Amino acid sequence: MPLGSVVLAFVIGAVIVTVTGDNPFTAYAGLLCGGLGIACTEGENPALQISTTIVYLIPLITTGVAVALPFRAGLFNIGAEGQMLAGMIACTTIGVVFKDLPAVILLPMVLVAGMAAGAFWAGIAGLLKATVGAHEVVTTIMLNYVAQWLLRFLIIGGPLQLRSGTSKSLTIGQGAWLARVLPNDNNLDILGLPASVYRVHTGLLLALAAAAIFAFLLWRTSLGYEIRAVGQSQKAARYAGVSVRRTIIVTMLIAGAFSGLAGAIQIAGVDHNLTDIYFTDTTGFDAIAVALLGLGSAVGIVLAAVLFGALHAGGAVMQADAGISGNLVFILQALILFSIAANFVGQIRRLIPGLGGAPAALPPEAPPAGPMMTEAAAPPPQTP
Amino acid sequence: MGNQRLRFLGVVAAAMVVAMACGGTSGGGTPAKQYKIGLVTDIGGLNDKSFNHLAYVGLENAKKDFNIKDDVIESHNGSEYVPNLTNFASKSYDLVIGVGFLMQEAVGTVSGQFPNVHFAIIDGAGTDASGADLKHPNVESLFFKEQDAGAMVGVISGWLEKNGKAKKNQHVIGAVGGISIPPVNHYIAGYKWAAKMEDPSIAVLVGYSNDFTDPAKCKTVAKAQIDQKSDIEFQVAGGCGLGVLQQAGQSGVYSIGVDADQKDADGSVIASALKKVDVATYTAIKNVVNGQFSGGALTFSIANDGAGYSVDNLDLPADLKAELDKVQSQIKSGALTPPADIPA
Amino acid sequence: MTALGDVLHLLLTANLWQATLAAAVLLLLPALGGVISERSGVVNIAMEGMMLTGAFFGVVADLALHNVWLATAVAILAGGLMASIHAVVSIQFRADQIVSGIAINIFAAGLTVFLVNRIYGLQDVGHLGQSDLLPNLDFPGLDQLPFLGKVFFQQNVVVYVALILLVLVHVVLFRTRLGLRIRAVGEHPSAADTAGINVFVLRYGAVISSGLLSGLAGAFLAIGVSNTFVPNMTDGRGYIALAAMIFGKWTPFGAFVACLIFGLGEAVYANNSTIHISPYLLSMLPYLLTLIVLAGIVGRSTPPAADGLPYVAGSE
Repeated sequence: MPLGSVVLAFVIGAVIVTVTGDNPFTAYAGLLCGGLGIACTEGENPALQISTTIVYLIPLITTGVAVALPFRAGLFNIGAEGQMLAGMIACTTIGVVFKDLPAVILLPMVLVAGMAAGAFWAGIAGLLKATVGAHEVVTTIMLNYVAQWLLRFLIIGGPLQLRSGTSKSLTIGQGAWLARVLPNDNNLDILGLPASVYRVHTGLLLALAAAAIFAFLLWRTSLGYEIRAVGQSQKAARYAGVSVRRTIIVTMLIAGAFSGLAGAIQIAGVDHNLTDIYFTDTTGFDAIAVALLGLGSAVGIVLAAVLFGALHAGGAVMQADAGISGNLVFILQALILFSIAANFVGQIRRLIPGLGGAPAALPPEAPPAGPMMTEAAAPPPQTP
Repeated sequence: MGNQRLRFLGVVAAAMVVAMACGGTSGGGTPAKQYKIGLVTDIGGLNDKSFNHLAYVGLENAKKDFNIKDDVIESHNGSEYVPNLTNFASKSYDLVIGVGFLMQEAVGTVSGQFPNVHFAIIDGAGTDASGADLKHPNVESLFFKEQDAGAMVGVISGWLEKNGKAKKNQHVIGAVGGISIPPVNHYIAGYKWAAKMEDPSIAVLVGYSNDFTDPAKCKTVAKAQIDQKSDIEFQVAGGCGLGVLQQAGQSGVYSIGVDADQKDADGSVIASALKKVDVATYTAIKNVVNGQFSGGALTFSIANDGAGYSVDNLDLPADLKAELDKVQSQIKSGALTPPADIPA
Repeated sequence: MTALGDVLHLLLTANLWQATLAAAVLLLLPALGGVISERSGVVNIAMEGMMLTGAFFGVVADLALHNVWLATAVAILAGGLMASIHAVVSIQFRADQIVSGIAINIFAAGLTVFLVNRIYGLQDVGHLGQSDLLPNLDFPGLDQLPFLGKVFFQQNVVVYVALILLVLVHVVLFRTRLGLRIRAVGEHPSAADTAGINVFVLRYGAVISSGLLSGLAGAFLAIGVSNTFVPNMTDGRGYIALAAMIFGKWTPFGAFVACLIFGLGEAVYANNSTIHISPYLLSMLPYLLTLIVLAGIVGRSTPPAADGLPYVAGSE
């Protein structure tokens, strides 16, 4: 089903490319080369392309988990972006203030600080949901914007600013840096390019661990059971003795910690300082697509992150090689979302009886079919 | 014709390579070497009505004159700068151009990885994380004296006010900046300095919209200045600033465009302060093609016709023309130096 | 102290309130769209994308036709068309309405810039002359009234239209049978269905109306306030409109008050040269205020009961 949605989105995307006067095969060849290093025609280095895709997909896995977990509790976390920025801010602050501490202390400190800040940011939404019933979609959208403006304030004229006239922070201490897989060496030649261009860092392992923890938490712990119970039916969960309020708050806290971790990994592994490059970041929104496409399973999320990471990296190569605006990637991404959300493929199968036969059974870990907004996500009844 | 000249150049270049055994650019043996130029925009994209667009125009102009394969990547967010620059550099492009000071750190990183690839950056240098210029010999930093251009339109504004040739003639003019950053403030500094030089009694209102894309925000700031009797509105805010020109037109006062000639943006535009990013881009490409690439800063100013002004929807009085020519030649000669920081 | 005095003085000037009203209307139109859509039970976070689409196609049409009224119609229709995608996906296919809304916003941002590249390329999007823009309209006589004249009778034509629409939406929603039905569909769709109300038709109508209103806001932004298209020129207004809708507790006049507060913030910042507060902290205010309202500190803000729930005929 998700594969069908992706294929359908690419078919519609091809139509758009054709209608606007370009060759869809050239476009998709560019995406393929840029994303996966396959079928390159202009001398791209496949290893470099794969490395770029991996760097892009690392935060997508962790934020994807941060969206997928609340889905299971019937909560829609649109705030992964803001939570990630909160994580970046905390990671940078700690990494700058305690810059002289050794790595064994500082690195865990910045990662935990990032997780704590993300958890706090999401916790606000969780608390408002559990206590006054404020819809988490709305609160997380507002919190995203607050985080965006807070970031700008902090590094332009605010306390984290490097110096007047800049829009960046100080660099975090070396002890807070996540190691790269290959040495950051301009003179070491690997596959024809300096080793330093391959920016894959050990944050990848943390991201994969986050996905594994997500699966373990959901299926092997009592908290996971409670989360799923609340997602299925709040009423039934209450009968089973589950505290719905507590579960909502805890779920959001954990989700926020994942997003915050994504932000901390990004700073510790890639940037090492907080700069204006995150003013227009969309990772937290891409995460929604990742979580939906991944059917909320750990393996699915990782695979979906690969797809979106590859699309992201591929857009640039497509524009460079084929001259087709990289904005096509956003169009494709939107089409994939429409397609998954509306389950167009399933509907088409139903309309043409001979085509699909019985709908394929969903894997056991699939989220509740149909609308994502179960009664937990629904607003409380209106008092007249 | 361009092609013939180029072929001739190519032959000469080939001969020179053989004679001097020192290739400024790698390859270059064939009579008509095709130069690969890669342009990476910042998050504004190609249609930002500002420096990204002008850089693209410069690239296209160079394409007409030289044998160039030109490729562009638009960056959609800042984390793409390094990969996008690396893309071109790893394919051994002859010149990789980064547009805008937002890309300084990325250019610094990638130029260190590819010492044999030429880089150029608009409005900045290749820096480290602390913003210090790494001075890589393969990076050409293209800076502009925006204050030169600002001063010329400042002369126009001050002169019109002093001589009662503007609309309200209350000796008040305004400038709307995007964000208070050096390239924006340089313009405003020159503008205010020159206007005060022409008309010592003038008041120059300075406001910021904190935005480079949303015309409505700049329009509100311009409206506020016009309500405070401002007679001539200078926009220094890219796409956002189009709202300034618009508001001036609707309020019946004059306006001044920025970066490119914005004559067509509104009937109220009497002049534009030009920052010739297209000329700078063209120059960087020409330098590579001619084997004259040199690392370090190239500053574009009135002196080398890299900054200037255009007179737009205004019948320029002869006296003002004379004054403009005088000031321009004095700036050229160094007799006058517009300040880089906004004077009090 | 003097800074405070300056702001107080500023609050008494007609110019400030004139700017406030204009800024508020840019938020009011999409907010009204949101109110209608959510009252019918369809969550709409896609006003941003619909507005951007309207802005883009309005400019394209105006540049081609040089007729601002036709161009405005095109902008409104383009917004409506974008909304109908949201309607089909979320009503017909019963997709998650938030996912669909996010997809619309991403789609609109990608499509408009993609098409700018395709249509205009190196030429860039052109500029429109004053005669091709939505005009300002001064009411003779009334515009000379002290204070009120400037604030209420020297505005762009869209401002008057928006104020009329504000009253209209309020009256239709709360004083007519149609409004009663829309609200019934948003609160108890199955009961409404049993009573013979066509849930699907009403929801389609409501969602598409939200697109038409957002499209008009896009036209006002691109060919009224501005005279060209700049990528992403809506700059998050659709989301601030969303905040205004919630702040205003899903009522037209409530949303209008919220839009005025948000618009006032923008206008005070633009008109004030004495207080130097970080503009970024100021930009945070609409969102913080909305969070405070949501927290119930300034009274509860509760959406319609069936908001966000797709309706399946025959379900309870």
